[in-house]
Amino acid sequence: MKKNTVLAKRYARALFLVGQEEDAVDAFGSVLSEVAEVFEAEPAVRDGLTNPLYPVEVREKVMDYLADQADATPVMRNFLRLLVQKKRVALLPEISAAYGRMVDEERNVCRGRIVTAMEMDAELEAQVKATLEKITGKSVVVTTEVDPSILGGLIAQVGDLVLDGSLRTQLDELKESITGRE
Amino acid sequence: MRRSSKVMRAVLVAGLVLLVAVAAWATEGHGGGGGGWMPSYEKWMDLVWRTMNFAALVAILMATLRKPIANGLARRRQAIIEQFEELEARRQEAETKYREYEGKLAGIEAEVQHILDAAVAQGEAEKERIIAEAERAASDIKRQAEMAVQHELAEAKRQLLAEVAEAAAKAAEELVRKNLQAEDQVRLIKEYLGKVGDAN
Repeated sequence: MKKNTVLAKRYARALFLVGQEEDAVDAFGSVLSEVAEVFEAEPAVRDGLTNPLYPVEVREKVMDYLADQADATPVMRNFLRLLVQKKRVALLPEISAAYGRMVDEERNVCRGRIVTAMEMDAELEAQVKATLEKITGKSVVVTTEVDPSILGGLIAQVGDLVLDGSLRTQLDELKESITGRE
Repeated sequence: MRRSSKVMRAVLVAGLVLLVAVAAWATEGHGGGGGGWMPSYEKWMDLVWRTMNFAALVAILMATLRKPIANGLARRRQAIIEQFEELEARRQEAETKYREYEGKLAGIEAEVQHILDAAVAQGEAEKERIIAEAERAASDIKRQAEMAVQHELAEAKRQLLAEVAEAAAKAAEELVRKNLQAEDQVRLIKEYLGKVGDAN
């Protein structure tokens, strides 16, 4: 697992450097993300790209088809074919994630997730985002989720930072404080 | 030398006795057919002959039998002495044993008493040990029972607290679900943001 992560980072770093040179960091990221999503979502595609029973040429053709669908540049296409040739296609999701982290790091961006018990309006979301940016010192890109089980308040996760201001957690803490009291 | 003088003395005594006897016999008139108070010559010679014969017999007997008889008597004497000595030794041995057994008998009561005392002391010690052990076991059982009670109490308390906490949390949750409005949600979020924003 650790070895795969290291390898994935290595491939992502190489692609990221080429993307910077070609000024195509976003385009590479978009194609990589799309292909990785398909790879993860479709078992048939996964099998067609990784099954050693198929000749390399066949697997390359499958990858070419995916690259065509994602409008990949020649450089990106070659990168994807290289993964097939080197039998590293299984690392695609990890490479995509590592690439995304590198892009975010380069742009000083943090990705996060906000969970609330009700839908937030744009103003409140912006306020939450601003607070998170203030705390992390980075530009924050967040996705929002609604989970009524947290009762109220919010749970925000940005990178390694977790802010839990939910009523559910407060109630749990209340329970802990009652049972913990002697 | 002394022996020969003794023999001689014995022969003289025998001769004297013989003469006296002859004189007495003659006085009583036991002479031969002569009819006078004096015996005849033949009788005298016969007497002398007999006497000499007797004396010779005595001398021969003494000469031949003296040594064996003396030796026999000496051996007998020695044997008797040895027997006496042996008997004396046995007597002394028996007396020694008697004294020994007497001492033992005298000490046996003390020994019996000592054994009895030791047995009683051992019994007392064993009794003390058993009592102490029983007391310790009772103490252990009591302590374990107390600990079990304490544990049960603590467990019951913990369960009670857990149930109270669960009930309180559930009641609070229901209260929140029933009464929390949209504006309250916004206020909660904003308050929390203010808190974490200020803290950072």
